[in-house]
Amino acid sequence: MSIYLEISENVRTGKMKMVKELVQSAVDSGLPAEDILNLGLLVGMNEIGERFKNNEVYVPEVLVAARAMNAGVAILKPLLTEGNVQAVGKVCLGTVRGDMHDIGKNLVKMMMEGKGLEVIDLGTDVAPEAFVNTAIEQDCKVICCSALLTTTMDEMAEVVKQAEIAGVRERIKIMIGGAPITEEFCKNIGADVYTSDAASAADAAVELCR
Amino acid sequence: MTNRERALNILHYKDVDRLPAVHFGYWGELLTEWVEQGKIPKDFAGGIGDGGEMDKALDELIGWDFNWNNTKGANNGLYPCFEQKELEILPDGSRRVLNGAGVIERIKPGIASIPSEDDYTLKDREAFENLYKPKMQFSPERVNYDYFKNFNETRDYDRPVGLHLGSVLGSIRDMTSVVGMSYLMYDEDEELFADIVDTFAEMQYKCVKEILETGARFDFAHYWEDICFKNGPLISPEKFDELCAKHYKKRNDLCHEYGIDIISLDCDGVTEKLLPTWFKNGVNTMFPIEIGVWGDQFEVARNKFGKGMLGVGGMDKTALRKDKAAVDAEIQRMKRLASMGGFIPCPDHRLMPGTKFELVQYYAEEIKKIRI
Repeated sequence: MSIYLEISENVRTGKMKMVKELVQSAVDSGLPAEDILNLGLLVGMNEIGERFKNNEVYVPEVLVAARAMNAGVAILKPLLTEGNVQAVGKVCLGTVRGDMHDIGKNLVKMMMEGKGLEVIDLGTDVAPEAFVNTAIEQDCKVICCSALLTTTMDEMAEVVKQAEIAGVRERIKIMIGGAPITEEFCKNIGADVYTSDAASAADAAVELCR
Repeated sequence: MTNRERALNILHYKDVDRLPAVHFGYWGELLTEWVEQGKIPKDFAGGIGDGGEMDKALDELIGWDFNWNNTKGANNGLYPCFEQKELEILPDGSRRVLNGAGVIERIKPGIASIPSEDDYTLKDREAFENLYKPKMQFSPERVNYDYFKNFNETRDYDRPVGLHLGSVLGSIRDMTSVVGMSYLMYDEDEELFADIVDTFAEMQYKCVKEILETGARFDFAHYWEDICFKNGPLISPEKFDELCAKHYKKRNDLCHEYGIDIISLDCDGVTEKLLPTWFKNGVNTMFPIEIGVWGDQFEVARNKFGKGMLGVGGMDKTALRKDKAAVDAEIQRMKRLASMGGFIPCPDHRLMPGTKFELVQYYAEEIKKIRI
């Protein structure tokens, strides 16, 4: 079994310690960091993402896989920076104002990182202006908003409005998701994309960043 | 007929004179709103939810018959629970607080949302053995024996009264957070996680047994779990079955021995994939069947599991924030579901801020006009 396959399998099963050891061993044996990332870590995470999308695995499997992947990425990061490896795109994400819930938001972040996107995590209770200003300052192509509550979902419309006011609505896409969000709501507020799960959100963000 | 008879008759497919108007309580912020709008007296804004006299007075004012979620039980959580401690105040005004379950939460002033979970204590066997296991043991202080010994003479016979059976996994999730539960179960120490579930479940079983042995009699029994979300369970159904099935069976068998044949379970989110474990092991009534936000469907489950599957809930509470037409549409849908038998309409969760007082009164009044 190739070391890349071993790494991807251990990411898929969420074995963090094994992933760390394998990635370190791959680095020590002189394999390129970019290949360890793309052929090992991200392959495992993408497989989990697909299975999550198809309801074949559940939230815990995603969380442990993401933790294992991140442990491997942490070893590779200095090498990737040296090699000037570019992210697939840049996204800023957060839970909307008035809402402190972050499990869904964190899952989306993990899935996006698993797709090679750079994610700026604004945290929870994020004001509409903060989404838009960060996207402008950090040159993000996508703003990604999460909400758990029916009482806070209307904040997403405010994010769309603020992007219009700032004159960036055409160049920055707005994605929304979370428990109470629907396709219909997305259309009603004029956001660009709604996805029903974290893996689909990552796929959609990659498309928007192309 | 009493509301107790109405509820029990419906859940046993017997005739009733009318549907009862049943609810699941309120967000505290909604009661504050209603006080500010002059709809309810100021006293009603606090301390609601225990099924006491204040609850009943509010029910009467609105027109509700009873709250399904008002049940009686033991102190079946961590005992004593962790002392709540403020750990730090962050620059944005948020407070990091160690809660009673040992989880560190981030709470922001003025925000009613569920807090963010920053960290947790129950990470390894040492924490379990030293900090948690002692708090998961049965002790007589957990049960109010005097109350339950006199229960049959003092209880309300107009409303159905349930025995709270606790929670097999939901409370453990509260101690570890979803993240910690996942790490323990899938990577760090699967055996430890099973030990935690078993230890906690044994204590809860003992609490239920002690209450039933006092001679107190109940109309139904009730669990709280909340282990699902928008896209289904927060744990794989196989893992859930492996960890939890035996505990449901043991507790439910005990209830059956004492003549309790309605066993309901409160789980938010889309519950479909966990229903086989629950039904196979004695749970037969789902609550609150959240169709509004999550799309959980009573009819789908009924078609799959047959008449043995009962339900309390299923009314889209968001209609109560809209208008009369939206409420009327829900009432018609509830009428259709109730006509299937074994189903009691109830808003599909606690009523939230923005809910219109007059629409709630209207719903309660109209639902009571339905004869099935």
